[in-house]
Amino acid sequence: MHIERFHRSCVALLSVSLISLGLQTPAAAGIVGTADAIAATQQQNDLAVVRGALARADVREQMVTLGVDPAEVEGRLGALTGTELARLAGNINEAPAGGEELLALLGLVFVVLLVLELTGTIDIFKKA
Amino acid sequence: MPRTLELRDTPFFPQEDYQCGPAALATVLRASGVEVAPDALAPQVYLPKRHGSLQAELIGASRRQGRLAYVLPGTGQALLTELVEGRPVLLLQNLGVKQIPKWHYAVLVGYDASRNIAVLRSGRRERKEVRWQRFARSWDRAGRWAMTTLAPGVIPAQADAAHYLEAVAGIEAAGDRKAAAISYDAAIARWPDEPMAWFGRGNAAYADGDRATAADAYTQAATLAPGDAAARNNLAQVLADAGCFEEAHRQLERGLALAAGTAFASMIEATRVEVEAAGQSATVPCSLPDRHWPD
Repeated sequence: MHIERFHRSCVALLSVSLISLGLQTPAAAGIVGTADAIAATQQQNDLAVVRGALARADVREQMVTLGVDPAEVEGRLGALTGTELARLAGNINEAPAGGEELLALLGLVFVVLLVLELTGTIDIFKKA
Repeated sequence: MPRTLELRDTPFFPQEDYQCGPAALATVLRASGVEVAPDALAPQVYLPKRHGSLQAELIGASRRQGRLAYVLPGTGQALLTELVEGRPVLLLQNLGVKQIPKWHYAVLVGYDASRNIAVLRSGRRERKEVRWQRFARSWDRAGRWAMTTLAPGVIPAQADAAHYLEAVAGIEAAGDRKAAAISYDAAIARWPDEPMAWFGRGNAAYADGDRATAADAYTQAATLAPGDAAARNNLAQVLADAGCFEEAHRQLERGLALAAGTAFASMIEATRVEVEAAGQSATVPCSLPDRHWPD
């Protein structure tokens, strides 16, 4: 009984928030940017035009999480097209990040050695 | 194509930890005439917790320096053609293996076919010689991604219109109106029948407040590509701004019919609502010279 009522209010709340989400993102009138016009001519990217605006918020959040100075984030987002933002929102954690990961590899080796040490397989980190 | 070629004047910035992105980007930007150092680029491209920089952000940062980022077709021929035209090439390599990738940016500055080598600016090495096949494999493992930076108005000899216009549209989106305008003019001179070049020219003129030029350019775009709803929308917007509501209305009706079921449908509808409202209270007559607007 109580649970059913709870479910019903959840559904109601969700519906309201979905509707208001829809209302918050009306298509803006005015000029279509060339990048969006090009994306629309490439069928598979048609949706990117719509997703661009939502992706911007996603990427903003992810960039801060990945350690970008918040003061720099807007400038970085502003340099990208809607299509690029949509793609980035989906793969910012997996896309190739060129940076010569030599030290990261050394770190991995250290972790492996540490695990082996802790499990007693090896004994290279002497205790005092 | 020469047997041996090396762009010896290409500057060199030894990379600091993980900073091959800013270093490689500064190298090609300098070569295209921008006085910039890696330190200034790092805050624009580096992702601290990924210990590296993403391709998309190298592209974005190029735009912020007033340069078009032109992504090359993934062929060895395309790399060599760029070198022949005097532009070093920034490229992504995978120096690890497929399962444990080690992503790295380097700049190709030359090759020697008789010795079978590629010459790179890479990491802390000002002049790194690598056997061509070994280099090509590392590039192949990274998806054959390569780019050059172009000063506005420069179009690579082998460029195709679609690729080039995508690069220009990027700098337009980044807000560099002047670079976009110069580049669209160059694109029109090279490909006069390319509708998207005219479309872009219209956007550059519109952003500059030049309604007559914008209306002309959108008209060209819509005439060359009668099915392009976005061109109708933009033409209608500039017509309405100039007080030409009757024609604006006609173009929007055409645009709405063309955009049915696409991403632009709701946007064109929104433009129509605004234009109708503005038309109700219009007091000044149409300020654009009468002409034959696209059907």
